[in-house]
Amino acid sequence: MLVSPKELRRREKVVKLSERKIRWIVRLYRDVSTKEAKKYSYSTQSSRNRKTQILSLDTFLVIFVGDLSSIIKWAESTLDAEYVEIRFEDIERFHTRLRDRTFHTFTSSHSHGYGIRVLAQGAWGFSTTTKDREVKDAILDAYKMAKVSSNSREEKIQLAEIDAIEDEVNSKMQIKPGEISVEDKIERMKNLEKLLKEDKNVVSSDIRYEDATGTKILVTSEGTEIRWDVNYIWQYVWLTGKNERGRAAVRDEIGSVDKGWEIFQEESEEIVAERAHKKLHSQLMGVYPKRGEYPIVAAPIIVGIIAHEALGHLAEADLTINSPFHALIGKQIAPEYVSMSDRIVEGGFGNDIYDDEGSKVRDVHIIEKGILKDIMLNREYAFKYCRKPNGHARAENYSVPPIIRMRNTVFERGDHSFEELLEGIKFGYYLVDFRGGQAELNSSFQVGVQEGYVIRNGEIAESIKDTSISGIAIEALKKISAVGKDFGLEMGRCGKGQTAYVSSGGPHLRFDCGIVVGGQR
Amino acid sequence: MNFIKFGEKYFDEVEISTYRKREIRAEIELNQISMSSISRKTKTVIRGISDKRLGIYVVDGDGEEKIKDGIEKAYKMAKMNRRDERWVSLPQKQSYGKRTEINEDLKEREPEFFVNILLDSAKRILREDANAVVAGGESGSEWVESMVMNSHAVEVSQENVAAYFYLYVVGRKGNQVTPGIFDMDVRRDANLDTDYIVSSLLSKLKKAYNVVPSKDGESTVILEPFALSELIEYTLLPSLKGDRKVKGTSYLQDKLGERVLNESINLLDDPWHPLGVERIIADDEGVASRRTEIFRKGKLEGFLWDNYWGGIEGVGSTGNGYRNLKTGGINIAPHNLVLEPGNQKVEDIISGIKEGYLVSLLQGAHSSNPDTGDFSVVANPAFKIENGEIVGSTVFMLSGNIMSLLNHVEELSSEQRKVYALGRGIFPYVKFYDVKIASVSK
Repeated sequence: MLVSPKELRRREKVVKLSERKIRWIVRLYRDVSTKEAKKYSYSTQSSRNRKTQILSLDTFLVIFVGDLSSIIKWAESTLDAEYVEIRFEDIERFHTRLRDRTFHTFTSSHSHGYGIRVLAQGAWGFSTTTKDREVKDAILDAYKMAKVSSNSREEKIQLAEIDAIEDEVNSKMQIKPGEISVEDKIERMKNLEKLLKEDKNVVSSDIRYEDATGTKILVTSEGTEIRWDVNYIWQYVWLTGKNERGRAAVRDEIGSVDKGWEIFQEESEEIVAERAHKKLHSQLMGVYPKRGEYPIVAAPIIVGIIAHEALGHLAEADLTINSPFHALIGKQIAPEYVSMSDRIVEGGFGNDIYDDEGSKVRDVHIIEKGILKDIMLNREYAFKYCRKPNGHARAENYSVPPIIRMRNTVFERGDHSFEELLEGIKFGYYLVDFRGGQAELNSSFQVGVQEGYVIRNGEIAESIKDTSISGIAIEALKKISAVGKDFGLEMGRCGKGQTAYVSSGGPHLRFDCGIVVGGQR
Repeated sequence: MNFIKFGEKYFDEVEISTYRKREIRAEIELNQISMSSISRKTKTVIRGISDKRLGIYVVDGDGEEKIKDGIEKAYKMAKMNRRDERWVSLPQKQSYGKRTEINEDLKEREPEFFVNILLDSAKRILREDANAVVAGGESGSEWVESMVMNSHAVEVSQENVAAYFYLYVVGRKGNQVTPGIFDMDVRRDANLDTDYIVSSLLSKLKKAYNVVPSKDGESTVILEPFALSELIEYTLLPSLKGDRKVKGTSYLQDKLGERVLNESINLLDDPWHPLGVERIIADDEGVASRRTEIFRKGKLEGFLWDNYWGGIEGVGSTGNGYRNLKTGGINIAPHNLVLEPGNQKVEDIISGIKEGYLVSLLQGAHSSNPDTGDFSVVANPAFKIENGEIVGSTVFMLSGNIMSLLNHVEELSSEQRKVYALGRGIFPYVKFYDVKIASVSK
């Protein structure tokens, strides 16, 4: 049982559903006929009065998880497999896209399905299905796939041990997106659009909003049974502007898994619009930078993307193994005042308690006082590296297997003020915000810059436009000359075949060299 | 059940699209098969318009109850949406070309077939180069059956199957790691060209071990098809989409009929090109597919349109409506972007360069500015050419504007490659002159 009977009774008082509603839920979840569903709803009802059926969704899900556990038991007794895992997902999403006063996307969506992973004879097999009645067939498919893989493997895959967990992960949101009416959601977007368009230079605005509410369940043959109450909010703004000097475009992104609708108190329409206008003006008024290697002061958002692209990807164990980081674990790779982690951060878009393999999420201190200490792992790579899994196996949804991903990647604070970081720079660049980035296994990284300024004689001067920075991460790290005492965080998405919600950040950093600015001059 | 009729109880116009997909995939990691998988997905998208208000519902599955429920939910959404006074209508009845038969043999291929492709290729690479590591790769097949119908008697179904194979290889000597070398093939049958891919990877890897510096300044650069396709995807393609023309965010909006690129540039969207992988007869709105000329001899001939924006502009759709299966919304996209080839073989182009660079892939093309065409990307892997020979690998930044770059074309190769990741289409190798670069490899 995932929830105590007492807790269930308490919830049943809160969530009362009619007999018709019960049948609807049962049909939805079990894809059975109405007649069967009716029987099922009677057999699970907990009310004394048969005419007023009472069943909480939680009760239903407990029964449902019970079913998945029995399917896992069936798989264990039927297959010659080391490990079987079922990931179930039932999520309702709301997507809108408001482009210049028209909602071009106005969508409600429902995703419902199962991702099955089987480890048999030292190899993985994976399958998916959207049909409740085909879960056993999907397990057999995944088993068959594992056997196909295993025939060719010389080194058998083994998983690092973890404790079997029975838990329920509840949302920390005060106001979940499902509790806000669609009317209120679109009203907020319309307000934001109005504010964005108040700037005379704005030619076009494009606001995307998405939220989700639902349930994710992981059941494994090792006894893990975790149920997540899944909720998130995401907003993306693309603003195009034009003036006598030319065109410019900027993005702004916010997202949250821990804060619900309350996030829009701190990220109000006014704040988002003001931030987007500032970035747009810096582009519109900007000059093309000089290309070459210059001193750089990077603001927290740029520092975050350097942490993510330049270093974070190399510290994902499946990439570490083929990168220069592999040979550098335990070695000094940066000055001793530099520390960097992938960890739980307040408001972090990658926060969670368990990963999609059921491992507990732990802080990973990747660089500690300049020494490369730890990397992000799933169970397979934790075994290879003889380390404990640290909760970084994440799957975008049920239809793909979990892979190693970052969560919240940050440089840790130092002790310099912003003014100290600028001191003594005759000519350099102050880089504030980014538009995309990418890493390569040879530790080459690229970050597109959408807000930046020239530093001249220790002062912030004119803005720059449409540029990017690059470097070889293991070289650039050594060139960090000072670490700020402030801290900032940016929410975003990372693409590594699958999309993951992540955040990244840190304090201001100064690089005396090691970063190349790409420019049209 | 007639779902359209059911939908018309709620909507003035309704469209129901179903996508059934089956994917078989084998993956390789660290020289060994890491996973085999089979995935079956069905999605239904309901798009309805009531009183010029749009409502969309997306659901996993295609059961009767789900579709009926979806129609009701889409209607609830429409009721809450704003009226869109510019809405014209969903597509009208169309005449379609003949469906291309799919390769039934490929559709039935078992996962073992794809596992063997990966293993044989990996073995050949490791046999030839002891320092090589097959860091990643996949081979598999994807079968998709789609159906679109609407209340204006549009009803079209089509089926497609393709096989693909790609590898990502690095070389390690001590602490030195080469850049990742990537190559791929996609076909409508099972005859994937593993020989070509393996030899291409080995030849590049051999040259990648010797890391040489690049020089700041302006230089001759050849972009290989994958690099060129990706750059075009993020810098030129957005400006060719009709929605941006209407909104005034395309830097080409008033250039129709003008020669804006080098005369050697002939670019079109051709769903039926012989090298193409998906030979579709209709787009995701059920509009009949067609060849669309975009640039001819550097002159802008046309934009790409979906039904909505083409209706607003009064030019109609060019059959370029692509559905986002997560949100159900329609975006404008080419099916198969073709850059016509030139006359010289790529090896002859390389041998004629005294000093320059050959760029296989780019980092950060997605961070370019689609509203201006400005880019600042990293060439990696890239190779230095001296006196007509490749002398080693290097990393550098490449900055500019796509319009300017495509006016600095010196030569297009006679060979074209299929690109099915990092953009989509058929591209030659293109030699550019006076490209601004900043060295990263010192």
